[in-house]
Amino acid sequence: MKGVSFIRNPYTGFSVFTLALLLLPLAVTNDYYLNVLIFIGIHSIIAIGLDLLMGYTGQISLGHAAFFGLGGYISGVLSAKMGWAALAGLPFSILGVGLIAWIIGVPTLKLHGHYLAMATLGFGIIVFIFFNELVPLTGGPSGLTGIKGVSFMGFTFDSDLKYYFLVVFALLLSLFLSINVVRSRVGRALRAIHGSEVASSVLGVNVPRFKVAIFVLSAVYAALAGWLYAHYITFLSPSSFGFLFSVKLVTMVVIGSLGSIWGGIFGAALLTSLPEFLYIFEKYETTVFGLILVIVMIFMPKGLLRGLEDLALRTLASRKRRVGDQG
Amino acid sequence: MSLEQQILQYLITGVTVGSIYALIGMGFNIIYNSTEIINFAQGEFVMLGGLLTVTGMKVLHLPLPFAALMAVIAVAFIGVLFDVLAIRPLKDASPITLIIITIGASIFFRGIASLLWGKEPYPIPAFSGEDPIPFFGAVIQPQSLWVMGITVLIVLGLRQFFNRTIIGKAMLASAFQPRAARLVGIDTRFMILISFGLSGFVGAAAGIVIAPISMTQYDIGIMIGLKGFCAAIIGGLGNFWGVVLGGVTLGVLESLGAGLISSGYKDAIAFGILLIMLFFRPQGILGKGKEDRV
Amino acid sequence: MIKTAPLLRTEDLSRHFGGVKALSRLDLAVSEGLIQAVIGPNGAGKTTLFNVISGVLSETSGKVFFKEEEITGLPTHAIARRGVTRTFQNLQLFSEMTVLENVMVGMHLRSRGGFFASAFKFPWVLREEKRIREESLRWLDFVGMDEFFYQTAGSLPFGKQRILEMARALALQPSLLMLDEPAAGLNIRETEEMAGLILRIRESGITVLLVEHDMDLVMGISDQVTVVDQGSKIAEGVPETVRNDDKVLKAYLGEE
Repeated sequence: MKGVSFIRNPYTGFSVFTLALLLLPLAVTNDYYLNVLIFIGIHSIIAIGLDLLMGYTGQISLGHAAFFGLGGYISGVLSAKMGWAALAGLPFSILGVGLIAWIIGVPTLKLHGHYLAMATLGFGIIVFIFFNELVPLTGGPSGLTGIKGVSFMGFTFDSDLKYYFLVVFALLLSLFLSINVVRSRVGRALRAIHGSEVASSVLGVNVPRFKVAIFVLSAVYAALAGWLYAHYITFLSPSSFGFLFSVKLVTMVVIGSLGSIWGGIFGAALLTSLPEFLYIFEKYETTVFGLILVIVMIFMPKGLLRGLEDLALRTLASRKRRVGDQG
Repeated sequence: MSLEQQILQYLITGVTVGSIYALIGMGFNIIYNSTEIINFAQGEFVMLGGLLTVTGMKVLHLPLPFAALMAVIAVAFIGVLFDVLAIRPLKDASPITLIIITIGASIFFRGIASLLWGKEPYPIPAFSGEDPIPFFGAVIQPQSLWVMGITVLIVLGLRQFFNRTIIGKAMLASAFQPRAARLVGIDTRFMILISFGLSGFVGAAAGIVIAPISMTQYDIGIMIGLKGFCAAIIGGLGNFWGVVLGGVTLGVLESLGAGLISSGYKDAIAFGILLIMLFFRPQGILGKGKEDRV
Repeated sequence: MIKTAPLLRTEDLSRHFGGVKALSRLDLAVSEGLIQAVIGPNGAGKTTLFNVISGVLSETSGKVFFKEEEITGLPTHAIARRGVTRTFQNLQLFSEMTVLENVMVGMHLRSRGGFFASAFKFPWVLREEKRIREESLRWLDFVGMDEFFYQTAGSLPFGKQRILEMARALALQPSLLMLDEPAAGLNIRETEEMAGLILRIRESGITVLLVEHDMDLVMGISDQVTVVDQGSKIAEGVPETVRNDDKVLKAYLGEE
């Protein structure tokens, strides 16, 4: 069905998505909503990377908030304490987090299932504690202030609208690279690892190296997001990078739909904007969040995107059958 | 206090806290053994035990022992409900789905707790007063003795239960060989139900007995649950004596580290030990496979 | 006929599980270009043998040589790189991937393209992708599969899944292909097709090492048969010789 392949071609979706993002500010002029969109964008970048790790390669990380935080703090500290420009800090955030992810990744990715989950969780909490305790460096629980904004060749991203386009650029780049990786030999190797590690090995796929590589890549995505976050808010506090945020990130990916490129973005959009809708019910936010998690997992374990897609296909199929019966 | 006396004091604290970790870890093991699921909501059973006891005493004006009993039974019942509503529908789900569900449930329980009890800490009176008992230059809080005593009681009681009673043995059988157990007429679904109830009971007991020392609050479940899980892994996931050993080891090392090195990094010590175990001996101190369960 | 060194050789290979000796000082040699079968009563250690050779399981003692180079203790993917691959008794397909994609993974070692080049869509990566795809289709054709390319592997009927796993392994173009009970679960017609396929594989120059319980298949297509009982070799030779060997009969009957 040619029509279906057009719809299913991710580059089509990508182009439509790009257009939508570029035109969105015409519809959204309120700075508050723009602010929410910026956060959705930042979270989406993390979610895309996490989905590569969890959805495609079948691993799990309950500590990704640590990489998000490290990306922010590395550049943030360089900016606030040493006066570096934001863009100068970016390569250090990326490379620093990449290195840390590689060092922790090699022993961690040898583990599976609950053990892997706990190791990433433990790592995340240890990093969080360091954010809190290294007060001279990070400012501790009261936070790090004085982080500079992003400027490039005299042009400063000093309004929400300008920062929106910066985030959109980063998001589109991350998305584009991910789509390409997923549809390549590398993507197949990752999905093969998810399908059967032993079969991948006997076919020559260097399973340990791939697992660490995708772990590092997903950490780098989170670091980029952290950098964007730090230089937008110009303030960092460890409480944003704890276990609960790691859980939220995993939730975005799982609820969005694991292993589908858009799932992470969908989940990020949903979970970032939900608190905004529920702000009247702020007291109930935690309870509702937990309830949603449980209910979605029970009724749509493959996530909302896949679940809704299946629902749509089944409705179409049953409608076709009915028409066929009448014919 | 001399250095030796200080260390002794840290040891006492460590064994006390470690007993709690062991109890909570035991709760993880019971559910893990019957279902291979890690119940991230275990910590909330601990929290609910303490808070329900507070309600029993403040609202229903029950004396402490009755409030505690009521709380423990209530949480056991909540555990059973949790199994029926959230776990049973998903017997074939992937590990990630199950992890998310139990995490979601723990967030839900925490939310409910914050609505019912607010976010402040609540004290429970110490079981037999607060006069510290001198002990070789250090002091032991009477409540510490209660903690250690009740832990020993529960551990031995569970040992008897699993080794001597029909139901206990049936549970072990279901855990080892579910198909064979079903063939001899054991209702594995019922066994799982009991394991959730038992897990709730043990978790609540831990929460009640430690509350006089560290207060109880809507969010104490997170950290203490995770550390209980660490205790289970350190000792060997699913291993009965392993979790006791793991809990006490963890408690002692954490207490010594906090006292001698730095208290800010206390939690980092626990998770640092966890990482070291996972990297070098993931089967735990006593783990060798599926030999000695619960 | 000049006697060349065996393609694969195990030397004193042992693998213990606690007290159980799955492999016990086994000396096995596989000559190039032949179909060699390993048979024996259940629990004789045959799948363990495959697991140790392919690096999935470590050996307790002893050595494995491939083309006279020691491969003992190498990681599985490195052994695959040398030209040894296998199929699995209980099938290890990538069930969520399509039939074509499964075979394309088989082409992994015979293609290039890492993270960076793939992410930025270098032109040569796109050309590689086309080549991988075309050759994968040729392997599917070789095994006789001419449909289902875009169906998920998990949705295929069992017999076709077995054949798919063969195509996937062949895409690697190994020197040695180890087949772990390729006929298990197949009906008579499917087994005959499997036998024909294995013969065609030998004709294409690939050496086959085969573990099987189906005696008709083994005796029908093997050039050499090795009999293993309780982890050691008890007989070896052409099918007719082994079939009538006393030790072999005793080992099988003793099982009943």
